[in-house]
Amino acid sequence: MRPLRNLARSRLRTVLTITGITVGIWALVVFGSMANKINALIDGGTTYYSTKVVVSDASGGQLGTAPMSIGTLDAIRRLPEAAVAFAEVSGLLDPTQTTGFGVPQSYAGSDAGADQGREVFVLHAAQGRLLDATDAGADHVVLGSDLARSLKKAPGDTVTIHGVPFAVVGVLEPTLTAPDTSAQMPLAAAQRLYAADLPQVLRDRIPASQLATDIVVFPNAGVTTEALAAAIRAAVPGVTAMTGADFDRNVKSSTAIFSAIIMGVALISLIVGGLSVINTMAMSVAERTREIGIKRAIGGSRVRVVRELVAEAGLIGLIGGIAGLALGALVVFLANDAGRSNGTILFDLTPATAVTAILFATFLGMAAGVVPSIHAARLDPVAALRYE
Amino acid sequence: MTLLEGRDLRKTYRLGRRNTVDALRGVDIEIEAGEMVAIMGPSGSGKSTLMHVLGLLHAPDPKDGPAPTLRFDGRDLTRLSDRQRTALRAREMGFVFQQFNLVPTLSAAENVGLAAEYAGERHGRARAKATEALALVGLAERADHRPSELSGGEQQRVAIARALVNGPSLVLADEPTGNLDSRRSAEVLGLLRTLNREQGRTFVLVTHDPAVGGACGRIVHMRDGLVASAAERELAVA
Repeated sequence: MRPLRNLARSRLRTVLTITGITVGIWALVVFGSMANKINALIDGGTTYYSTKVVVSDASGGQLGTAPMSIGTLDAIRRLPEAAVAFAEVSGLLDPTQTTGFGVPQSYAGSDAGADQGREVFVLHAAQGRLLDATDAGADHVVLGSDLARSLKKAPGDTVTIHGVPFAVVGVLEPTLTAPDTSAQMPLAAAQRLYAADLPQVLRDRIPASQLATDIVVFPNAGVTTEALAAAIRAAVPGVTAMTGADFDRNVKSSTAIFSAIIMGVALISLIVGGLSVINTMAMSVAERTREIGIKRAIGGSRVRVVRELVAEAGLIGLIGGIAGLALGALVVFLANDAGRSNGTILFDLTPATAVTAILFATFLGMAAGVVPSIHAARLDPVAALRYE
Repeated sequence: MTLLEGRDLRKTYRLGRRNTVDALRGVDIEIEAGEMVAIMGPSGSGKSTLMHVLGLLHAPDPKDGPAPTLRFDGRDLTRLSDRQRTALRAREMGFVFQQFNLVPTLSAAENVGLAAEYAGERHGRARAKATEALALVGLAERADHRPSELSGGEQQRVAIARALVNGPSLVLADEPTGNLDSRRSAEVLGLLRTLNREQGRTFVLVTHDPAVGGACGRIVHMRDGLVASAAERELAVA
C-alpha cells in the first residue's frame, strides 16, 4: 500500500502524529462512553416519569426517601383526576453509602400488578421470573442485572439484605438505567426493611404496613400529568408531586455540563490532532517537493497529488482512531469491571460511539491534510524538480 | 510531417522585483515526426527553458511582442489550462531527466506503471505495460528493485521506460547522459537511437555533450535565448 510506504519513510514522525490522534480519540471514546451511560440513565428516567406523577414527602426532596404515611394514598385515590395510585418503598442496600458517581444500589418494593398495566417502562426477566401476586408477603427478590453480577447471585440463590435472607427468583435484563442496580421485592418486605431502619419514635408512630416512600399515580384518560400533579398539590398538603417535565428540568439540565465537557474534549482533540497532522504533512510535502515535481512533470494532475497526500493524512487519522478506540475500549472495560463490585458502572461504549470515533479521526486527518496537499499541488513542476 | 512547431516563443523569469531573466527571446523551432534533435548551447542560453516550454511544463509568455504560437500535432497549445497541459504531458509526451528523477519508494515497475496510471490506465493494465516497457530497455529482471538498488545507468533506463510506456509521440530528454560515465552514456544513447530508428519515436535532447549531439539527426544551437543556427546533417540510415 503506497500511502503506508510513504508514512514509513519517517517512522518517528508518523508514530508521534498517530500518538497525538490516539490520545484525542482515546479521550473522546472514554468521555463519550461516560456520556452514553449517563444519557441512558436519564432517558430511562424520562420514559419512567413520562406517564405518571410520583408523590413523595416534601421534607425528603423530589427524589428523596423520607417516610410518608400510606394514608396519603387514600386522599389521592379520591381525586377524580387519578386513575390508579399505589405505594412504593425504596431505600439504599447499604445505608452507609454516601452519594457517589452513578446510581447507588437500592431495594424497591411495590405490589406486583399495582400499576394495572399502565407502566410504560416495562421490565423483563433475563433469568428466572418477575415478581407476581403469589410473592406477596414472601421474602422474594428480583435483582437488577448489574446488582446480580456484583453480588454474584442467580435465581435459586439467597441474598441477605439488611440482615434478612431473601430468595432470588429472577434477574432483570439490563435497562442501562436505575433498575440495573436495584433489588425488586414485594411491598410488605420493603416496608419491614424500611421500618427497621427508622428511629424508634417514628417506628412507634407508623406501623410498617402503613409506610411508603413515594406514591405512584397514573392520570385518568384525558388528564395530563401536569393537571394531575396540580390537583394532588392542591388536595394533599406537605407532598411534592413530580412529573416527567419536572424530572427533565431537574436532572437533564445538570447533564448539560457533561455534554459541554465532552464537546470540549472533542474540540481539543480536533485542534491538537489536526495541527499535528498539518505539521506532519507540511514537513512531508517539503521533503518530497522534488518527487511531487516528478509526478507533475510526467503527467500527474493536481487532483491526483492532492488525493495521494490526503489519503496519507487520512491513513494517519484512521490508524490513530483505531488505536485510540482500542485504548479507550480497554479503559472502559477495566473501569466497568473494577466498578462492578460496588455497582458503579460508569461507561457504556456503544457501536455508534466507536464508529463515530473512527470516522471522526479519519476525517480529521484528511481535513488537516488538505492545506499542505493543495500547497504541494500548486508547486511549479520545474521549480520542484530543481529542489534539493 | 511537422510534429511540433513553435513561433516567437518568449519566456521571462522574474527573480526579484527588478531582476528579470529573458530566457527565451523569440525562438522559432520546428520538430518533424520521427526526428532526433539535439538542442545545444552554453549554460544560460535558454535550452532547458525551451525544453520546458516545448514539453508544456511552462507556458510561453503571451505578451511582449508578437503572439507566440505553439502547435503540437496540428493543435494549438498556447491557451491550454494546467489540467489540459498535464493530460497532454501524460498521454503524448515522455520525459527523461539528468537526475533520473525516479520516485524512491516505488520499484522500477511501479515507477513506470505510475506514468501509465497518469495516462488513464487501470492498475493491472499499467503494471503489464510497465513490464513491457522495462523489457524494451533490457531491465525485465530488475522490475521489482527500488531505485536505490539500481546503478545510475539502470535508473536512467527505467526513466526511459517510464517515458515510453504510454507510446508518446514525443520524448524530451534534459541531459540524459549528464550523470553517467562514458560507457553507460554510450549505452543509453545507443538505446535512444535504436528507439528512434526502429520505432520512429521523436526525440528532443537538451545536451552539453558533443557525443549526444553527434548521435542526433539535427542540432539546434542556442545562444542568449535565441536559436543561433540550425546545423543540420542527415543521419546515415544504417
